[in-house]
Amino acid sequence: MLKYVTRRLALLIGIVFIISVGSFYLIHLLPGDPAVVILGTGASPAAKAALFAQLGLDKPIYLQYFTWIGNVVRGNMGTSFISQSSVAGTIRAALPIDLEIIVLSQILAFIFAIPMAMRSARKPDGVIDRILGASSFTLLSVPPFIIIVLLVLIVSIKLGIPHTGPSSYVTLASDPVGNLESLALPAITLATGSFVVYYRVLRSDLIATLQEEFITMARSKGISQRRIMWRHAFRPSSVALLGAASVNIGGLLASGFVVQYLLAIPGLGYTLISAINMSDFLLVQGIVLTVSVGVVVINFLFDFIINIVDPRISRE
Amino acid sequence: MSDELLVVKDLTTTFTTNSGPLTAVGGVSFTLGQNETLGIVGESGSGKTVLSRTIMGLQPRRNVTVTGSAIINGFEVVGASEKAKRQIWGTEVAMVFQDPMTSLNPVMRIGQQIDESLRVRLGMDRASAKARSIELLELVGIPSPVERYNSYPGHLSGGMRQRVVIATALACSPKLLMADEPTTGLDVTIQAQILNLLDELKDRLKMSVILVTHDLGVVATRTSRIVVMYAGRIVEIGDTRDVFYHHRMPYTRALLESSPKVSNHSHTRLQTIPGRPPNLMKLADGCSFAPRCAYATDQCHNVRPTLQAADETGHYFACWNPLPSNRGVRAP
Repeated sequence: MLKYVTRRLALLIGIVFIISVGSFYLIHLLPGDPAVVILGTGASPAAKAALFAQLGLDKPIYLQYFTWIGNVVRGNMGTSFISQSSVAGTIRAALPIDLEIIVLSQILAFIFAIPMAMRSARKPDGVIDRILGASSFTLLSVPPFIIIVLLVLIVSIKLGIPHTGPSSYVTLASDPVGNLESLALPAITLATGSFVVYYRVLRSDLIATLQEEFITMARSKGISQRRIMWRHAFRPSSVALLGAASVNIGGLLASGFVVQYLLAIPGLGYTLISAINMSDFLLVQGIVLTVSVGVVVINFLFDFIINIVDPRISRE
Repeated sequence: MSDELLVVKDLTTTFTTNSGPLTAVGGVSFTLGQNETLGIVGESGSGKTVLSRTIMGLQPRRNVTVTGSAIINGFEVVGASEKAKRQIWGTEVAMVFQDPMTSLNPVMRIGQQIDESLRVRLGMDRASAKARSIELLELVGIPSPVERYNSYPGHLSGGMRQRVVIATALACSPKLLMADEPTTGLDVTIQAQILNLLDELKDRLKMSVILVTHDLGVVATRTSRIVVMYAGRIVEIGDTRDVFYHHRMPYTRALLESSPKVSNHSHTRLQTIPGRPPNLMKLADGCSFAPRCAYATDQCHNVRPTLQAADETGHYFACWNPLPSNRGVRAP
């Protein structure tokens, strides 16, 4: 187990290094000239050269990388030329919103997916299974931006429950109710997509597990159906579920901008889109790096959890 | 009622399949006394496993119809709800499964799997369940049971796992132990150990045992009576000695001749039964064994023989052209 974790950790560090090089280089791929952005179009070559020297842009690119990564590791991602605010500070303010939406959406998705998958797996192709299967498939075919529009239409307009925008967004600590109110709709939207995947993956794995001989043996002990489901079938069936969750949560972190943009919630995704629109390259770079590292770390954590859930995996 | 622990009467198990009904067990009747060991033998696919599961009501819950009767210590299993059957599973009847590589939950510690029966069925608290589990592991001959209590099944060999399966089956002191090919998945040297263990535990714990196997060598010395099955039906039943030495059904003889004997000269060619077991979907009206039987007549192909009494008490066979009775001819 320890060996396995060490090996994965080494891999993690390698991947993070590659990501950091990638996101550093990203800036050089983007169109636009920092001198033009900072000094305007009419700057003299001498002023440009002075600016490049001041910013360190005259040094070889690998030196620029090491200077940059050294700062990043110390929590300094630079100061945006556009907003004159700290990139790290902006990310620190926005990231918790993404995390909260993701956590809420995943709780919702699991709360519905697990019992429903169990219900379906008890009688595959039974009436309940067919109804659940058909409705989950319908849900899967509706893209999130349609769901969010429908939710706003129903909840905010028809029912008259206002949802809050970026100006009135409040943190969980200062106003828990207001905070949950503003994050409920994006969380529900993201939960629908996750729910369908989790329900389907867990259902098919549970059906397979319930055919296993050890389930018959558990049954022969005279324990309840419920206990067989939760204690004997769920754990060996949850490896693919955790794998799906790992990929899915990473994806939500990277693609949360759709709901954030539509509902004007000032999370990382929303910030990224504004940064791109305003050519705030440093902020784009910081967000890309943060999200990529976040995805890798989430995957690593899930690998670790999967190992605990199924001890057969790390044993080979 | 009698002092029989198990009374099986006209037990029939029919699976509903996509291509029609399949009768895996057809009209089986026999009884089993207290502290008795009964062997059920037959080729693969003869319905032994389905029969043993149906007796305790452990057949799949869907697409299966069971008729007839199986009474375990006064409890009618056939037609009982799953909830009612849970009351006898583990405490009255328990099963040792065929393949210890698949019958233990791979992601649960061994101790938890034994504890579970004790805690759920007997209401023991955590500490006493653990103590009892370790006792059980010791009883079935697992070295260093305290450490093994926390092992996962993957850490144990096949023989050790089968001992764990036995310990789990014994947890709630069942009166009837069903052992379904308990040694088929194991090395030959381990087989004898496991069978001896079952024998010893049967006497020590005053259980009755049903030993299901395809290997006549396994049942020869360990059972008092034997049921020979073919195509889901009993074709011969009787005391072990009678089935071995005075069998009347040609199938029983073919089965006996196809098992290796120590007294054989080396390089003796093993007898095989020509043909294959019948397709249970397309059973003819006559004797199921007729297509493979050297003595078959038209009657055999058209009319199914019923069990008839042989010379010995409690010895029955189903055959129109039985082997001649050799009672008194060849002393065992």
